[in-house]
Amino acid sequence: MAEVPHLRSAVQAQERIHFGGQNLFAGLFVALALAFAVLAGASGDTFFFRLATEALILAGLAMAVDVLLGYTGLLSLGHALFFGFGAYVSALVLKNVAPSFWAAVGITLLAATLLGFVAGFVSIRARGVYFALITFGLAQVVFKAVFNTREVGGSDGIIGIPPIRVEFGLFSVDTQSPAGFFLLTLTAAMLLYAVLAYLMRTPFGRMLVAIRTNESRVPFLGFSPWRAKLIAFVVAADVAALAGSLYPMLRGFVSPELFAFQASGNAVIMVILGGSGTLAGALYGASILTALKSVIGTWSEHHLVIIGGLFMLSVIFLPKGLAGYALPRLERWFARGGGGQ
Amino acid sequence: MTELIESFQFVYGPQMANGLAIGVAVVLMALGLTIIFGLLDVINMAHGEFYALGAYLGLTLVAKGVSFWVCLALVPLIMAAIGYATERALIQRVFHSGDRHTLTLLLTFGLAIIAEDAFRLVYGPNPYKPDAPISGASELLGVMLPNYRLFLIVAGAAIILAVWLVVYRTSLGAMVRASAFDRNMASSLGVPVDKVYAGTFAFGVALAGLSGVLLAPIYSVFPTMGKDFILLAFSVVIVGGMGSIKGAVIAGLVLTQIQSISSLFISPVWSEPLVFGIMVLFLMVRPQGLAGRLGNG
Repeated sequence: MAEVPHLRSAVQAQERIHFGGQNLFAGLFVALALAFAVLAGASGDTFFFRLATEALILAGLAMAVDVLLGYTGLLSLGHALFFGFGAYVSALVLKNVAPSFWAAVGITLLAATLLGFVAGFVSIRARGVYFALITFGLAQVVFKAVFNTREVGGSDGIIGIPPIRVEFGLFSVDTQSPAGFFLLTLTAAMLLYAVLAYLMRTPFGRMLVAIRTNESRVPFLGFSPWRAKLIAFVVAADVAALAGSLYPMLRGFVSPELFAFQASGNAVIMVILGGSGTLAGALYGASILTALKSVIGTWSEHHLVIIGGLFMLSVIFLPKGLAGYALPRLERWFARGGGGQ
Repeated sequence: MTELIESFQFVYGPQMANGLAIGVAVVLMALGLTIIFGLLDVINMAHGEFYALGAYLGLTLVAKGVSFWVCLALVPLIMAAIGYATERALIQRVFHSGDRHTLTLLLTFGLAIIAEDAFRLVYGPNPYKPDAPISGASELLGVMLPNYRLFLIVAGAAIILAVWLVVYRTSLGAMVRASAFDRNMASSLGVPVDKVYAGTFAFGVALAGLSGVLLAPIYSVFPTMGKDFILLAFSVVIVGGMGSIKGAVIAGLVLTQIQSISSLFISPVWSEPLVFGIMVLFLMVRPQGLAGRLGNG
């Protein structure tokens, strides 16, 4: 028994190094994003600012998928359901209730929590591939329903969402300002990252990892995997919906394609490319995929052949993604005292 | 009474007959999916694209002067070779890792993305509608039915029966079922499990290709045809019970009847969500589906 404290401190040291490396990885992302902002701002660009903002919004969806896939071991093939839902709720609030950022985000969060509970209750019982298929089916039902409902614009979606000023008390940001909204979205994405990264370090986060590793054993330790999975599902729903709520502010419209399988699938690709189970990897994955689509899209309509190929190569040869390559190096650097401890 | 007969002749009858034609085709698709899942535990997300590939291959061969009837035999053969190669080159690569559900699903998903775009690259985005090789229509119980649909129903039923016979009445089928039931035991008894896996995958892919050729004259051929159809096939597989042939047949016929009859009462655009809703309901309350797994009927 004397070994227990020793073991605990060893595990804790290991964890500190792991999360330190992960935070460094995320910090590096912020540095790159800010460098990009300076470059783009200096050249007076709009297009790339908008594109990068979209990448950050999609990164929110990817992080939500990573909470389920990378931490809890649940492959969701329909997570765009919550992203699209957030975008639609936000669009409806901005257009019909009040052109206020806080109202849109607040109402989205409440509604998404409710929807997350309902959808989680439906799907969480299913294990493995059944979970993948049930989330896929749910998203498909909602996609078709939105597509065919005139009241929310049907196949056209909702257009003409007014641009707003986001009030922060001391200052305000115009959603139409490319740089301003980019920085706002970056802040939002990093806030989501910070909250999730913190959550994954709590006993609750460890429980999710335990569920991924061996779900059948968790009840023997006296915990309910069902409850933890439901909470993880609701958290993932909220994060995806919050990311989605920024979408209409960026583009001024929402369309049913936000719910489509394509969007859910892309989020999974982002997580795998960036490295699942790292959160920070999702930030990179979303940026890489969005950039690839845009770059390849300029010289060929058929970017999906290349993206699909890259994705398959990544699954086979680099199953831990970009983070799988970068994190061990960053962790070593952190362990050597680079993290300033 | 005459009113009842008339409403059958002109409203329910044709709708049910069309539903039956779709149903038989969906069952053909679902059989491939369910056998692959039952044996290999692999969700083949690219199954719809294999179906589309079969249709495109048929289109190309017919354009080159090959008769449609030859295509019915030739395309499944080519597709089987493609399926065999896919299993060997991709599925086997990740099959023995702990995460094989997720990894194989992701791999076939990637394959589906590439294939759909490749179709667009090679054949363009516009739909093709090949002429039906049998023209005319016949009257059956007072219901008018195009001859080609009639042929589709009969041929499809024959193929389904043949698949059932192969799986349950031949030594080849016994090897497949044994491998599905207990891989290690089958292997110890001399069943070449790896070959059975690749062969079964090839067989499922060939079935998908065959349904592609059969359905092309009815639904036309376009890049996203697989994606549109695969959802229905997935619902059938889930409701029927993943891995069950009997379940797939029953669920396929029932779900397509629900879809076609319900579209008389509700707007047809809602009949599709209705079928997905049934699938979700099944996943919630009876995830094993109507029937059990491949080994058990």
